[in-house]
Amino acid sequence: MTNPFEDPDGTYVVLTNDEGQHSLWPSFAEVPAGWTVAKTEDTRAACLEYVEANWTDMRPGSLIEAMGD
Amino acid sequence: MTAPRKKSQLEDVLPLSPMQQGLYFHALYDSRGGHDVYTAQIVFDLRGRLDAAALRAAAAALLRRHANLRAGFRQRKEGSPVQVVHREVRLPWEDADLTGLPDEAAREAGARDIAGRERTRPFDMARPPLLRFVLIKLAADRHRMVFTHHHILLDGWSTPVLQTELFALYLAGGDDAGLPRATPYKNYLAWLAAQDRAAAGDAWRRALDGIDGPTLVAPGAPDAGPGTRTGQVRLRLTEDLTAALNARARAHGVTLNTVLQLAWGVLLGRLTGGTDVVFGAAVSGRPPELPGVEEMIGLFINTLPVRVRVRPADTVADALIRLQREQADLMAHHHLGLADIQRLTGAGTLFDTMTVLENYPFDADAAGTDLGGLTLHDVDGHDATHYPLTLAAVPGRGLSLRLDHRTDLYPAGDAERITARLVRILEAVAHRPALPLGRLDVTDGAERDLVLRAWQGPRTDRAPGTLTGRFAERLAENPDAVAVRAAGEALTFAGLDERANRLAHRLIGLGVGPETPVAMLLERSAEVIVATLAALKAGGAYAPIHHGYPPERTAWAVGEVRAPVLLVDTATRDRVAGLDTAARILTVDDDPGLAAQPGTAPAVAVHPEQLACVLFTSGSTGEPKGVMLRHRDAVDLATDGRLRGGAHDRVLVHSPHAFDASIYETWTPILHGGTAVVAPPGPLDGEALERIIAAEDVTGLFLTTTLFNLVADERPGAFARLREVLTGGEAGSTAAIRRVLAACPDTEVGHMYGPTETTTYTTVAALRDALADPAETTPVLGRPIGDMRVYVLDAGLRPVPPGVVGEAYIAGAGLGRGYLDRAGLTAGRYVADPFGAPGDRMYRTGDLLRWRPGGALEYVDRADLQVKVRGFRIELGEIEAALAAHPAVANVAVLAREDTPGAKRLVAYVVPRRGGSADGLREYAAGRLPEYMVPAAFVALDTLPVGPTGKLDRNALPAPDYAGAAAGRAPRTPEEEVLCGLFAQVLELDEVGADVSFFDLGGDSIAALRLATLARRAGVELTPRDVFTHQTAEALTRAGEPADRLGFEVLLPIRTSGTRPPMFFVHPAGGLAWGYLQFQRHLGPDQPVYGLQARAFTQAELPGSVAEMAADYLAQIRTVQPSGPYHLAGWSLGGLVAYEMAARLQAAGEEVGLLALIDSYHGQDLEVDKREVLPELLEGIGVDARMVAADGNPDMAQIMAVLAERGDALATLGEDDLVNVYRNYENGLAQAEAYRPGPFRGDIVFFTALRGRAAGSPTGRSNWGALVDGEIEDYPLDVAHHLLMEPGPAAEMGAVLAARLGKLHPTRG
Repeated sequence: MTNPFEDPDGTYVVLTNDEGQHSLWPSFAEVPAGWTVAKTEDTRAACLEYVEANWTDMRPGSLIEAMGD
Repeated sequence: MTAPRKKSQLEDVLPLSPMQQGLYFHALYDSRGGHDVYTAQIVFDLRGRLDAAALRAAAAALLRRHANLRAGFRQRKEGSPVQVVHREVRLPWEDADLTGLPDEAAREAGARDIAGRERTRPFDMARPPLLRFVLIKLAADRHRMVFTHHHILLDGWSTPVLQTELFALYLAGGDDAGLPRATPYKNYLAWLAAQDRAAAGDAWRRALDGIDGPTLVAPGAPDAGPGTRTGQVRLRLTEDLTAALNARARAHGVTLNTVLQLAWGVLLGRLTGGTDVVFGAAVSGRPPELPGVEEMIGLFINTLPVRVRVRPADTVADALIRLQREQADLMAHHHLGLADIQRLTGAGTLFDTMTVLENYPFDADAAGTDLGGLTLHDVDGHDATHYPLTLAAVPGRGLSLRLDHRTDLYPAGDAERITARLVRILEAVAHRPALPLGRLDVTDGAERDLVLRAWQGPRTDRAPGTLTGRFAERLAENPDAVAVRAAGEALTFAGLDERANRLAHRLIGLGVGPETPVAMLLERSAEVIVATLAALKAGGAYAPIHHGYPPERTAWAVGEVRAPVLLVDTATRDRVAGLDTAARILTVDDDPGLAAQPGTAPAVAVHPEQLACVLFTSGSTGEPKGVMLRHRDAVDLATDGRLRGGAHDRVLVHSPHAFDASIYETWTPILHGGTAVVAPPGPLDGEALERIIAAEDVTGLFLTTTLFNLVADERPGAFARLREVLTGGEAGSTAAIRRVLAACPDTEVGHMYGPTETTTYTTVAALRDALADPAETTPVLGRPIGDMRVYVLDAGLRPVPPGVVGEAYIAGAGLGRGYLDRAGLTAGRYVADPFGAPGDRMYRTGDLLRWRPGGALEYVDRADLQVKVRGFRIELGEIEAALAAHPAVANVAVLAREDTPGAKRLVAYVVPRRGGSADGLREYAAGRLPEYMVPAAFVALDTLPVGPTGKLDRNALPAPDYAGAAAGRAPRTPEEEVLCGLFAQVLELDEVGADVSFFDLGGDSIAALRLATLARRAGVELTPRDVFTHQTAEALTRAGEPADRLGFEVLLPIRTSGTRPPMFFVHPAGGLAWGYLQFQRHLGPDQPVYGLQARAFTQAELPGSVAEMAADYLAQIRTVQPSGPYHLAGWSLGGLVAYEMAARLQAAGEEVGLLALIDSYHGQDLEVDKREVLPELLEGIGVDARMVAADGNPDMAQIMAVLAERGDALATLGEDDLVNVYRNYENGLAQAEAYRPGPFRGDIVFFTALRGRAAGSPTGRSNWGALVDGEIEDYPLDVAHHLLMEPGPAAEMGAVLAARLGKLHPTRG
C-alpha cells in the first residue's frame, strides 16, 4: 500500500493551521477543517521545500506569543 | 456417408484445454471427498403439452451432434490428461412422474429433491457422458427439465445455445438435418494449440508486474468443501442508475464490464486496505476469429486475473479509461489458463473473489417463447462457485446483481452490507466522473462511529500541565516522601528539589533558558533524575544521548540539538574528553561550582507547550532525528488514568535515558508522589530484576519485548511481586506472556504500543483477560489511553472497517511538536487531522494495524523500512547510508530478516565496487553506528535484484547462508556435540560446526545470554564471557586443565583452524588479550590467531621482566607452532614483549615473518612511582581509563559499571579479575620502563596512535630505528592510544596485517 504522503508521482498542497503549523497534504483529499491551503498543488519536493523555507519557528503561535518574542 | 461398418468405439483422443485441465485436476482432487463442486445444473420448466419422446430424441441428437459431450477424461500413463471421445454413448435419461403427489407444494418439493440429488451424484470422469437428464412430470401440462453436467463439458455461455438447439431438435422430432453443422470443439483445441503461449505469458507477466501480493478477502480461509454453503444476495438496480452507468461507459468509450470491474476493484480496496488489487473475472474465452464459435457448446470460459490500481488521486474517469486500456491489451491473451498465469508470474494464488458479467448471447427476456405450444421458463441454475465472494451481473433494463458469498466466511448481514456499498460506489461512478477515487466514501455510518469515536481513548478534561509545576505540587504535598531510590540511598522530594535547583541555577548561568536543549550522557544513577529535573527547572529541555553512539555520533548529536551544555558524570566524562564539540561539558557529580548555587527554585516560568525533551530516533536519511516532546505530553502520559491506582507508584528506572520508556519510568512515579527506583548500571537479567523488585518493593516496570521474552524464558516468576509489568515495542509472544501470567498470578501484563513521536505509549491492553481465551494467538494492542485516538486509514485517508488492515495515525494527547529543525520532515509526518477538532494534527506512524471486531487494535506490520530489533527502533536507510559511505561499496541494501521465527537479524547486502572488497565492513559499521545497528551478516552480491520497474526487489534478496557458514567441521566429542546443538538452538539453525564462531552466525549479546542459560540447564557451566572469548564450540570445550579458567588461558585460542602459520598477539599491560578477538574476522578464515595473556589470572606471582614473559610465551607458542616463520604483534607493553620474542627467535635461528608493534615504545620514563595506577588500570585492557574518578580514589563499583555497559566480553569481568588486571598493569609499567631491547633483523610494521600524544613523544622510527636493520612502516591512526582496540582502528590495523600476511602466504591455486 503506497501511503498517500509518500507517493513520488503524487501532487500535494501545503496546509497551515491557526498555530502556524504546516502539513503536507495530498491534493486529492479534502482539506480538513481548521486548515487552509498555504501553497497550492505542486510536487512533493516543491511542497517540502516550501515548508522548509516558510516554517522556520516550529513553536506553535500561541506559545510564541506566551513566551513574548 | 458410407454404410456403417464395425467401428471402434473410440472416435477421437484429444488434449484438454487449459481450463479443462484445471477442472480435471480439481475433480480428481475433490472426488476424494466424494464431492465435486464443478457439478453444474440447468433447470427449466416447460408449460403446455409436451411430447416427452421427442424431447428425449432431441437430447439424443444433441449428443450425436456434439462430440465433446461424449468425452470421458483419463490420464495417460505418463500423467498427462486426455479426453477420449466415444463414438456412441447411452443417453442418461430418467423420467419421473410426480403427478401422484397430493398437492403442488409436495410436487415442487419432490422436484427440488430430485434436482438436489442429481447435483450431489458424482460423475465418473472416465465414463462418458458427464451429463444427465431428468424429466419430471409435475402435471399434465407442466414438466421440469433437470439437466445436470460436469462443468468440464460446457460453460454458462453454452447454456442458451444448448437450450435453443435442444428445442429446435425437439420441434424437428430429433432430426438434425435442418440444423447447420455444429463446429466441433476440436477446432477450438486446434486454434488453442496455434496460439503464441510465450507472448501471452509475457503479456500477463507485464500486466501483473509489481503487484503487492495476492488480494484475499479471506486469507487463511479453509477450502470450500461439501459442507460449504453459498448464500446469495440479489439486487436489481433502478433503470435510472442502470441507464446512467451505461451512459458513463459510453461517454468514456468503455464497456459496462469495465465499469463493474472498477467498482468491484474499489470495493475490494476498501475490504482489504489495498490500492493495487486483483480479482478473477470470467471471460467467455470464445475467440472471435474462430468461425461459428458463438454457436458452439463446450467449455471456453476462463477465469482471468483483473488488476485494478485504486490510486486515490485518479479520477473515476481516469481509472475507467486506464482499466479499459489495460484489459484491451490482454484480450489476445485470454487463452492462457489461470494456473499457467499464476505459474508464469510466480505469484501463486492471486485472488479469492471474482466477477462475472453474464452477457450470454441469449435474450434473457425471451423466456416464455412459444415452442410449438410449449413455453420455456427458467427456474434455477447451479453453477460452480467456491470463492468467498463472487459478483455476478446480468444486463437488462435494470442491471441485476447477485453476490454469491460463502456463508461460513460472510454471514448474510455482511454480504448485504457489502452489496449496499457496491451500489454506493456504482452511484458515484455513474454520476461523478471527476471525483478522485480517494474521495469516494463508502464507509458505513455505524462502523465509522465505532472506529472513530466509540473505540477511542476515554475523554478527560485534564488541563495541560508542566512537569515542573506538577513536581512542585507533589513537593508541597509531601516534601519528605522519597522521590528517588538509587544505590541504596533515598532522595526525598525536598532533597531532589534542592539538588535540581542548584544545578538549574548553574545551567542558567551557562546560558540555558526557555526551550534550550541540555545534552546529557549520564550513567544510570540518581544524578540522571536530578539533571533531568534541573534542565526543566532552568526552562530548558533534556536531550539524552544514546550510550551506544560512537564518539563521532555523540559529537554530532550535541551539535544537532545546539546544546550549550553537555552534562556528564565521573563515569562517562572520559568518553567525551576528546569530543569535538563547542558545548560546555559539566560533570554533574564533580562540579565545584555547584555548591555555591542557591537551593531555591529559579524564577523561570514554564508553559505546557514548551519543550521538555528531545529524544533521538533512527532516521532513514542516515542521521538520527530529534523528536521534540512538550511538557504537557510527558504530564499526560505520566498521569494517565491507566497508570494510576498504585501499580505505577514505585517504578524501576532501568531503560536507557535516551529511550522514550524513561519518560514513563521517571515521571509516572514522581508525578504520582511515588518513588522512582533507579536500577544499578549494567544490563539486568531475570535474577537481578527479581532481586531489585523485592528489595525495593517495586510495583511496576517496563521491559522491551526482547528482554521480556528472555526473562519469561529464564525466570517467569521474576515479576510475581509487581502489580503490573508493561511490555511492548515489537511483536510479542503469547507463549512468553502466558508463562509470566501463570507464574505471577497477582501481576497484570500490560501490552503497550506507541511511537516516541506520540510520547511512548498510545494504547494499552491488559493481557490477563485478553489471553484467557486459549484460542487467542496474538497479544492485542488494546485501545488508546486517555485523550488519544488511533485512526486506521486506507490510502485515501479514510477509516477502514474493522478487520481491514490500514495505516495507523495517532491524534490527541501526547502528540509532540515535531522533529527538531526538520520542518519538512515534520510536515510530512505530523499532518492535518480530518477527524479531530479543527486545526488538529495527527502523526502518521507507518505501522499497519487493524481493528478487531470487538474494538481492540492489533499490530500487523510496518508499511516502510523501519524495523525493531531487540527493542531498538531502526531505519534501515540509516544503516544503508552509513555502509554506502565506505569507499569499496558501490551499492547496499539492508534488511531485517526473520528467516526463523523469533530470530530477527539485520542483514546487509553489499555490491562491492569494481576491484574493491567489502571485507572489514562489519568493523567499519561498528565504528559509525550504534552496536544494535551493526548488521549480523554481510552478503556480497554482484548486483542487487530489481523488479521490472527498476526498483529494488527486497523479496528477491537471498537469505544469508548461515547454514553454509555454519557448516564447519562435525563435533568430535560429546561436549562439542552438546554445545553445537545449543548453538544451533539459539541461532535457529539446523546444525552448527564445532569450529564456527557464534558471532559470525548472527549471534549477539542477547543470544549469548540465552546460550549461557541453556548451557547451564544442559549441565554445561558457561558464562556469557566464555562465549565472547571462545566463540566456537571447539574452543569452549577445549578448556584445558581445570586450573585454566576459560578466557584466561595464557595461550588464548582465537581461531585455531587455517593452514597458515599462526599470528600471535601479546597482551598489553592489563594482561588480557581479549581486544584481539576481533582480528580473527580481519585476517581471513585461513589464518589461525592466538592471544597471549598474563599468568596473573591463574597464579599469584608476577613475572619479573619483559624477558621473562617473552621466554614463557615462546614456550607456549611452540606448543602449537614448533618452527617458523613466526608472526608476532603486540599493543603497548605487548609490543615490547613481541619484540623481545622476535629477537629471541632470531637468535635461536628461527624465522620471523611479521613483527607488528602497536603504539609501543621502549625506554620511556613512565613515572611509575608517581602514577595513580588505579585510574589507569582499565587502559590496560582497552577501556578509557579516565572514566574512573579523577581524584585518584576510584571506586570498584564505578569501574564495574563502566565495564557492564559494554556490549562485549569485558562486560563479563568479575571484580577479582579486575584486581588481576590492576596487578598486571602496575607490574607491566615497571617492566616496560626497565626493558632494554637488543637488535632485530628485518622490517617492523608500526601503528601510531595520533591522538593525545604529548609533545616530544618518540615516533616508531625514532624509538626503534637504531635497533632495526629493516624498514619501519609507520601507519598512523586517528585515535588515542587506549582506544586502539575499538572496532574502527582495529579494522584498519586488521587490513594492514591481512595484506602483509597475504603477501607472505599467497593463496594457493
